[in-house]
Amino acid sequence: MSTIELKNLTKTYGKFMAVDDLSLLIPEGCVFGLLGPNGAGKSTTFKCMLGLANSTSGTVLYDGKPLEPSTFERIAYVPEKSVLYDWMSVHDHVEMQRHAFSHFNVARAHELLAQFSIDLKKKARNLSKGMKTATMVALAIAREADMLILDEPTSGLDPINQRHVLNLIINESARGATVIFSSHQIGQVERAAERIAVVEHGRLALEGDVDDLKSGRKIVEGIFPNESFALDGIATDARIARIDRSGRILRLLTNADADGVAHLLEAKGASGIRIVDLNLEDIFLYAVAPAESTADVVEGVPQ
Amino acid sequence: MPAVLTVDPRSGVPIYLQVIEQIKRSVAVGVLSSGEQLPTVKQLALDLTINPNTVAKAYRELERDGVIETSPGRGSFVKANGVTETTKAAATDVARDAIEAAVREAKSIGLDADEIRNLANAAIDRWFRE
Repeated sequence: MSTIELKNLTKTYGKFMAVDDLSLLIPEGCVFGLLGPNGAGKSTTFKCMLGLANSTSGTVLYDGKPLEPSTFERIAYVPEKSVLYDWMSVHDHVEMQRHAFSHFNVARAHELLAQFSIDLKKKARNLSKGMKTATMVALAIAREADMLILDEPTSGLDPINQRHVLNLIINESARGATVIFSSHQIGQVERAAERIAVVEHGRLALEGDVDDLKSGRKIVEGIFPNESFALDGIATDARIARIDRSGRILRLLTNADADGVAHLLEAKGASGIRIVDLNLEDIFLYAVAPAESTADVVEGVPQ
Repeated sequence: MPAVLTVDPRSGVPIYLQVIEQIKRSVAVGVLSSGEQLPTVKQLALDLTINPNTVAKAYRELERDGVIETSPGRGSFVKANGVTETTKAAATDVARDAIEAAVREAKSIGLDADEIRNLANAAIDRWFRE
């Protein structure tokens, strides 16, 4: 079983920085969620990790060692776009995998494909987008690999099959496999992932343990008697990650000790103090949203 | 264990805290009884579709709080000895959190301590009237 480490990974296409000095550590047995807006560099990161794209600089280490041919026996990868051969049946793909890898559990593959109601005789060209995703996920899980790299493994699937894929990821983690996956559905990442990273423009915007992020990050809001309140003692407070003021209302994003920050606001003369919990979607939006748009984000938080 | 647990991953409350709160509540109201076996970490993770380490973390905290005990190889059980104290402590934890939240809310919308006390006393009188 295995750790995966990215050290200062950088990938440029001409002048475009697809991945910009990205460092991540994915501990053994961890389910790691990679989040980011479209075009943030998630898929490119995965490709660089697997040597499918040449990184411009930086390293990727598996158990402390660079990728080598034997590492591929230990990694199962589901790419974002289908790599199934149109002219081949699902059964042919199972056979191909069985011959391509030293370990492939054919019975498990058949069981998983049946759970997704996929007809083994169907040619890949006749599968829907969701069925292609499900087929690739089934083939990957049947590898019983130490590490899984899953790029949007629920894309195109209906809610029941999305939930099934999440449970397969959870099951892989429970048996000790290390999993990194990306998804646009933050609710799924919130369920399955223990740690997350948010990337934007190829750069790391936020990383951490999901529970720690949710425990520490709160909005503390207070109302001042007039608009000319001073921010001294607030702007320099290490617990406060972001300050939004509009009129008499001050909203603070805290990293830690929201109760303490609430008391600070009270001591400064604010009233109507509220502490608002943030879910992962709120935290994600704060990580990628420009400062001026955060006031709208806050208004979207349930009261 | 009866299927009494649900989690709301979109809530701002960390999932492991939701699991802890619900198991404590189940013990407090007797849905989980003394000595009853809890699902394995893997089983509960799959039942709720949540990360296994999240469940393991919840179980560790419940063990530290004296609500459950885990014996290696056998699994986790609601604490058999002194279940009355466990139940009482679990009920107190759940109630304290609810009261804390209500007082914080009342204070934040401008009520003073005496006004909040009066409301609390009125509510107690209403619910404990013979």
